[in-house]
Amino acid sequence: MMNLIILLAVVVAAGAVLSVQAAINGRLGETVGVLRSSLLTFVVGAVSTGLLILFFEPAHAVSLLDVPKWQLSGALFGVVYMMVMVGAVPRVGTAVATVAVIVGQLGMGMLIDNFGWLGNPQIELSGSRILAMVLLGLALVFMYRSNTRQA
Amino acid sequence: MQSSSIDIAVTPATKPGLRLLLLPLVILAGMGLSVEAGLLGPLGVQVGHLWATLSIFGVGSAILFFLLLLSGPQKGPAFSDLPRWQLIGGFLGPIYVVVLTLATPYIGIAMTMIAILSGQVGKSVLIDHFGWFGATRKKVNGERWLALLLIVAALVLIARG
Repeated sequence: MMNLIILLAVVVAAGAVLSVQAAINGRLGETVGVLRSSLLTFVVGAVSTGLLILFFEPAHAVSLLDVPKWQLSGALFGVVYMMVMVGAVPRVGTAVATVAVIVGQLGMGMLIDNFGWLGNPQIELSGSRILAMVLLGLALVFMYRSNTRQA
Repeated sequence: MQSSSIDIAVTPATKPGLRLLLLPLVILAGMGLSVEAGLLGPLGVQVGHLWATLSIFGVGSAILFFLLLLSGPQKGPAFSDLPRWQLIGGFLGPIYVVVLTLATPYIGIAMTMIAILSGQVGKSVLIDHFGWFGATRKKVNGERWLALLLIVAALVLIARG
C-alpha cells in the first residue's frame, strides 16, 4: 500500500517532467522542424541512458538480444504517433487531437490490463477503475472549458 | 516515449469530412502509446529498466535519422545557433521512460497513463498559479482547480484498488 502510493507519486512527477519537456521541445520544434527536434531528443536520450548503463547498471542474465524481437518494437509506435500528430493537429485542432489521443491511450490501456496482453500482469476492470476513468473524463471537460474561455 | 500534452489550446480546424477521417487515425496513434508502454514494462523486468529505455531511444534515433536523411534539406537555424536551454529537453525523456518501465508491471497501463496525465495537468495548474520557473503568474480559475481535484480523486481510487 505504502509502496503503491510512492510509486504513484513518482509517476505523477514523471508526468510533470514530461510536460516540461513538451514545453521546451515545442519551442524547439517551431524553429528547427519536428524531425530535427525529435532526433535531437532521441539521440540525447540514447546517449545519456547509455552512459548511465555503462557506469551504474548491474549485469543482467537476459540481454536485449535474447528477448523476442517484437518486444523491441516500442519505439515504432512512438515515431508513428509523432508523424500522425504532425499531420493531424493542424487539421483537426489541438483540443480534438488531445482528447482523441487520451481516449485511445486509456481505452487501449484498459484492454491490455484486462486481458494481460503483451506479457503484462492481468488487472481486471473493476468498478473503482471505471469510476476513475469517468472522473478523468470529467476533469478533461473542465480543462477544455476553462481553456476555451481564456482563448 | 511521447505522450499527449494536456495543455489544451484551441486552434482553427478544417473541413468536417477530413476531420472524421483523421480522428480514427489519431485515436489509433494514442492506442499505440499504450502498446509502447505495454511492451516496455515486461521488457524492463527482463533486461533491466535502463536497457529497455535504451532500446526505445536507440531504435527511435535510428528511425528518425533515416527519416531525416530521406526528407532532404531542413529549414531553420543550426542547433549551435539556438539558446542552450532549448536543447536540454532530451535529458528529461529518459526519466519518463524509466518511470514507465518501473510502474506499469505494478499499477497497469491504464492507471499509469492516468497518473501521467495528472502530473501534466497538475504541473500546468500549479505553474500558472504560483508563477514557477519564470512563468507569468496568472489566476487559475475554478474549473481548472476542479479538474485537478477530480484527477486527484481518480488517483485515490486507483491507490485503493
